[in-house]
Amino acid sequence: MLDAIDKSLLKTVADLESLPKGAYNIRKNGKLLSRQVSANIHIESNAEGTGIVVTIKPGTKNESVHIPVILSQAGLYDVVYNSFIIGDDAEVTIVAGCGIHCGSSEPEGHAGIHDFHVGKRAKVTYVEKHYASGDGKGRRTLNPTTKVFLAEGARAEMELTQISGVDEANRLNEAVLGPDSLLLITERVLTDGEQTAVSTNNIVLKGAGSRANMISRSVMKGNSKQTFYATMDAQNKCFGHIECDAIIMDNGTNETMPSLKAGHPDAELTHEASIGKIASDQLTKLMSLGLTYDQAVNRIIQGFLK
Amino acid sequence: MLELKNVYFTVQESEENSGGLRNIIDGINFTFEDGKFYGITGPNGSGKTTLAKLIMGVNPVSQGAIIFNGQDISAWTITERAKAGIAYSFQQPARFKGITFRDLLTVATGIEDENKLLEILGRVGICPLSFLDKEVDARLSGGEIKKIELAITIAANPKLAIYDEPDTGIDLWTIGPMVSLLKKELAENHTTTIVVSHNRAFLEAADVVIIINSGKIVYSGNLEGALPLLDDLSVCTYRDSCEGDRDAGCYR
Repeated sequence: MLDAIDKSLLKTVADLESLPKGAYNIRKNGKLLSRQVSANIHIESNAEGTGIVVTIKPGTKNESVHIPVILSQAGLYDVVYNSFIIGDDAEVTIVAGCGIHCGSSEPEGHAGIHDFHVGKRAKVTYVEKHYASGDGKGRRTLNPTTKVFLAEGARAEMELTQISGVDEANRLNEAVLGPDSLLLITERVLTDGEQTAVSTNNIVLKGAGSRANMISRSVMKGNSKQTFYATMDAQNKCFGHIECDAIIMDNGTNETMPSLKAGHPDAELTHEASIGKIASDQLTKLMSLGLTYDQAVNRIIQGFLK
Repeated sequence: MLELKNVYFTVQESEENSGGLRNIIDGINFTFEDGKFYGITGPNGSGKTTLAKLIMGVNPVSQGAIIFNGQDISAWTITERAKAGIAYSFQQPARFKGITFRDLLTVATGIEDENKLLEILGRVGICPLSFLDKEVDARLSGGEIKKIELAITIAANPKLAIYDEPDTGIDLWTIGPMVSLLKKELAENHTTTIVVSHNRAFLEAADVVIIINSGKIVYSGNLEGALPLLDDLSVCTYRDSCEGDRDAGCYR
């Protein structure tokens, strides 16, 4: 059922050596490949047949669900709409990810449009990796969208990673935070060659006592270009922070636009942003521990994108 | 073990300052002996850190030669010098994003085994578990990062260890143990030790005190002999124009 390419893609994007334990839904070339539900996690196709609805029962503890997507069909642009309904007090880890293997000159792409409805006091960890491989010259595109709605006291931790090989990415993250909820987003994007990546983030701190922290780490190699927009819109007493760091290598370029909007007198919003080459004191330190220049560069990038 | 032969470090002055050449290190000749403790001191801007960085290869010598264990290392890279057994604790250690103390220890020693890393931490007197997985980033206090820097230098088991103002940001109670630690490393591992410092505790521990002024070694010998000269050098050069003694609470 899983061929060697599928296995390699799954290993990279979802850390899966074989079919996972617990609930999962594996999509290959726009179609369901394999699905398993568990006592607390239900997965069904949505009414339109354009994606899945994952429902996690209230109070579910320490369970995970894997929903990787793999693409290896030339010329396919796969769009999927997935919804996650996480019950009150549930604690769950969702591992998503898309791996594209492009073996021809035809383009291939995927747009995963995900919405998360996180119940009261529920905690969700969402891990998403994007990766493309293959010898083909076809353009590989990944345009994900995530929309997060956090109820009172809910918490979402999102790790969004684009590892390598993606020619064009246009990401949209949106979140609306209820009272006392917490959102942590860490986005890591590595681009190379002529690749481009745009990340747009709109976070609305709606409830009193809500908190959000958005961390973006970008590395541009070759002639690649990345653009990062992040807006924190504070509509109540809340705390929001944006931290965006970009490392330029070779001839990469970057535009970073953090934006803070305080619509309430008790809103506390901060941001820090930096763009530049690797700091020379970091390189010098690692070389003084015996690494060569190139090894030091790799070690710093590896840590930065960890 | 380390010989400085007529070493110069020369920079081009900016246009405003005549645009000429200036020797930051101005023809230094000195031999550091194996297994001894050296304390380098002198006024701010006298060239102490520059000299230390020339030895590590962070800056290239403009003229002269640096001989390490019989080999001319003047043209060697930092990496080659590190591999030959020279280690350097920076005055202002680099801060990273996503690199932990454990990562740096592993880079310095090649050791990944948890128990062996804990052994090293015991040896350098750092509270083990709370520190090991700390990211060496901007959140560390000045004192914490200096302790980490010192520990990494010791862990590398160097033949020659250079510490540039290791006591900056360190609380007074830790300086005594830090001096003892460097002396213990010297005694047990025969580590030739060079400490750049203004702190008397390090100068008292040193076998040889070296005073640098205006890029030259103006004294080398025991601390007792250095003291009159240090008193002279510490006289503030702004004394005539500044009335700090009376008004600004200047303690010179």
